[in-house]
Amino acid sequence: MFLYDFSELTSSIHNSISSVMSPLATTVVEMVIAGIVFLLFYALVGLILVYAERKICAFFQCRLGPMRVGKWGLMQTIADFIKLLMKELIMIKNADKLLFNLAPFIVIIASFLAIGAIPFAKGLHALDFDIGVLYVMAVSSIGVLGILLAGWSSNNKYSLIGAMRSGAQVVSYELSVGLSLMTIVVLAGTMQFSEIVEAQNTGWFIFKGHIPALIAFVIFIISSTAETNRGPFDLAEAESELTAGFHTEYSGIKFALFFLGEYMNMFIVASIAATVFLGGWMPLHIVGLDSFNMIMDYIPPFIWFISKTAIIIFIMMWIKWTFPRLRIDQLLTLEWKYLLPINLVNITLMALCVLNQWHF
Amino acid sequence: MNIIIFYILAAVILIFSVLSVTSRRILRAATYLLFVLIATAGFYFLMEVNFLASVQLMLYAGGITVLIVFSILLTSNIDHKFEKSEIKKNIFSVLLVALGAGVSLSVLLNKTFNVKSNTEPVHVKKFGYALLNYGENGFVLPFEVISLLLLAAMIAAIMIAKKR
Amino acid sequence: MSIQSFLLMRHELMLIIIALIVLIAEIFTPDHKKGIITPLAIILFSISLIVGFLPAIEGNLFGGMYNTSSLIVLMKNILNIGVFIILLQSNKWINLLDNRIKISEFYILLFITLTGMFYMISSGDFLMFYIGLETATIPIAALVAFDRYNNKSAEGGIKLILSSALSSGILLFGISLIFGTTGSIYFKDVVGMVSANDSMMILGFIFFISGISFKISLVPFHLWAADVYEGAPVSITSYLSVISKGAAVFIFMIVLYSVFNSISDIWKNLIYVIAIATITIGNLFALRQDNFKRYLAFSSIAQAGFILLGLISGTELGMASVVYYVLVYVFSNLAAFGVVSIISFQTGKENISDYNGLYKTNPKLSLALTLSLFSLAGIPPVAGFFGKFFLFTAAAEKGYYILVLIALLNTIISLYYYLMPIKAMFINKSDNPIQTFKTDITSKIALAICLVGMVLVGFSSTFFETILKYCFGI
Repeated sequence: MFLYDFSELTSSIHNSISSVMSPLATTVVEMVIAGIVFLLFYALVGLILVYAERKICAFFQCRLGPMRVGKWGLMQTIADFIKLLMKELIMIKNADKLLFNLAPFIVIIASFLAIGAIPFAKGLHALDFDIGVLYVMAVSSIGVLGILLAGWSSNNKYSLIGAMRSGAQVVSYELSVGLSLMTIVVLAGTMQFSEIVEAQNTGWFIFKGHIPALIAFVIFIISSTAETNRGPFDLAEAESELTAGFHTEYSGIKFALFFLGEYMNMFIVASIAATVFLGGWMPLHIVGLDSFNMIMDYIPPFIWFISKTAIIIFIMMWIKWTFPRLRIDQLLTLEWKYLLPINLVNITLMALCVLNQWHF
Repeated sequence: MNIIIFYILAAVILIFSVLSVTSRRILRAATYLLFVLIATAGFYFLMEVNFLASVQLMLYAGGITVLIVFSILLTSNIDHKFEKSEIKKNIFSVLLVALGAGVSLSVLLNKTFNVKSNTEPVHVKKFGYALLNYGENGFVLPFEVISLLLLAAMIAAIMIAKKR
Repeated sequence: MSIQSFLLMRHELMLIIIALIVLIAEIFTPDHKKGIITPLAIILFSISLIVGFLPAIEGNLFGGMYNTSSLIVLMKNILNIGVFIILLQSNKWINLLDNRIKISEFYILLFITLTGMFYMISSGDFLMFYIGLETATIPIAALVAFDRYNNKSAEGGIKLILSSALSSGILLFGISLIFGTTGSIYFKDVVGMVSANDSMMILGFIFFISGISFKISLVPFHLWAADVYEGAPVSITSYLSVISKGAAVFIFMIVLYSVFNSISDIWKNLIYVIAIATITIGNLFALRQDNFKRYLAFSSIAQAGFILLGLISGTELGMASVVYYVLVYVFSNLAAFGVVSIISFQTGKENISDYNGLYKTNPKLSLALTLSLFSLAGIPPVAGFFGKFFLFTAAAEKGYYILVLIALLNTIISLYYYLMPIKAMFINKSDNPIQTFKTDITSKIALAICLVGMVLVGFSSTFFETILKYCFGI
């Protein structure tokens, strides 16, 4: 049915490896391969997103952005990356060294665990649990611990305040993220990502579930922006008041890890939004227009996935560079007094829609 | 392969639980506890009860540890260290732990368990149905009573925090 | 499942509804009108008290997770009466200006913990048992710390929550071992699989007993009791020492008699030792106390030891004597706490030495306290005597003569310290006695209920016979 099925590719790789090695060695080798692939992917996405952010920021501020290094400044982030690698790693006196060094890794590992569950194309995902959505929410909730530990172990008041803000913020907004995803789980009847995507064969969920799905989508975008500590919710690192928030004391590659972690989290939430609401790698299908669907099927699923993700990332950057930063009490009021009740009502509405077959 | 992972996880749990209770810095103790909880989730993944594993990660690692760390952030200073406990106390508690572990181990190791082979991984839908089932082997009553407990806990927390 | 089957759960449902009504009332009453919440809560609770006495239907719900029988309904009614008395006693104290802002929280938490106890008593499986136990414990810790600005109160709260967390851990470990051997959490499935030959089962059972012993504060798990009782506000102390302890004793008895009946030899030996230790240590420590709340704490530890005497027999009579004793204990202990709370509220004095010459200034209160202490000690005219008598009979009937002898000796020791406050009130002279004061009406009603109860339950044989009718042996 689908032109591109990557499960053949992955299974052929598996077969060729297991034909020369014992099962144990096969597992180890496959784990290493998957790890390397994701590492490369991380580096690539990190570079592209940093560049994109600077360009888009410049666009919104009527500037040009980086232009000097390479054509249109394309090499700028690579140069920045090399600069970061060469910087000195400053050790803070009186800091808790173990936790100070551990914190960036917790952030990165949490995002690493989450990205494994995302389906890039049919058969192209590392983990396909029957509880995929829950799993992603679970592992991404660990990331905030890295921020909290970083803030505390730096022995710096700006870091501490930033970390506490971030803790309060992430713990609160996780609820909204989870509930808005659950709204779609109600519609899909499954938490498995591959099944969620397959179910959107006849139309993306944002169209199928119309009103409640649209509300859920908006809430998801707002709360996932907050959960990833991005503007206008970037209180944890509000430059004007907290220097750089929880990573004030970090330098060099450790800072780069936090930086990368932030962009990867943005990529992950965007790709989840793309998968759950916009059909993931599923091409745009309109029931009845078979020839149109055929043409759409020729575009590779990977392209579909990346372009949907890119659009959502663009929206998130647009939000960041447009709205002013909130205050912490406004932020928590927004979540607990508005988003959460709306979400709960919305999930009931969706349940009603599903029960009465009001969806398409 | 599973056996190797099992022993790795078990070693992680053992080492970090000991570290967690012996550490003299409170936030480090909480961090070690985090590793213990994550490794426990690893056990569940190993047994292919993914739902339980995710809930373990979400509630314990992502929820409870975050709350613990958060409260430490609010109350504790980075320079603070626990006092070194007396040697007499240490010896006594080690003996006590050894005694307890000895008794439990001797009982558990002598027990022959009925091993169920080829158990099917439990699909998440089963959990959903069991949670809302009010017949035999259903859990709707505990599910609802826990919500009562949580309500009470919230009200209790508010009551303690209320200003005069 | 039909609507009618919910009638089985009427005790719990009524309480939940009351708690939610109070919660809503809290939201919609302005701050200066918070006083109306007290009558609201008391009236609603008295309705639920009366509804509880309606004829019981037996049966179980939720596939055996929730059981009810005439005996269980009786137990819940006993606890309901106790809570009603406590509500009356606390009326004046909770309406103090300082406490007023937390008034509805007090009632909500009280009702929810009571619901937890009811679910615990009614539980038909270990899960519901555990959840009920937690619901009955965690909010109480907050109530103990009600007087947050008083260091002792805060200390009591944290001590209670820590020790109960430890005991819950032990209990859960025990339950998990039992689950590991039987593969089921339902009592009805576990019964058939309990055997004395399975050492893992026995280990789990011992952990289970230790966990419950914490809640009943049996020796050697009693260490938290005195500090918590001293720190908590008097109403909460009485709630902890009467209601919460009574509920734990009830479920302990039900589980021992109906689930672990086939290993009764093992638990009888255990309880034998625990009973002797509890009675003796409770008594010996009570001798040394001057603070009235600590004094009552140790006295209630000793009382719990006496209750074990009825438990150990494993007969119908034993069970009936335990239920009867708890009923008597509710009245007599609450009367004692009532007087202590009135005096503490009026004068702030809580030491026994402050009671010197109380008879001169407040004769009625001292008479009430005397009667209740007589009842606690087991001196004939009041119900406490019959309670102890039945407990001793039940144990002696099964041949535990040495245990009964030790208990009798301890009763004599306890006479000494129960008579100490009486001596203080009637004989000792004081230069600075507690002034004469008027007691508020609700406390008076509460005291009157207790005194009438003490006398009536002692003299009328119908109470014991009714209880005996519903009880069962191993």
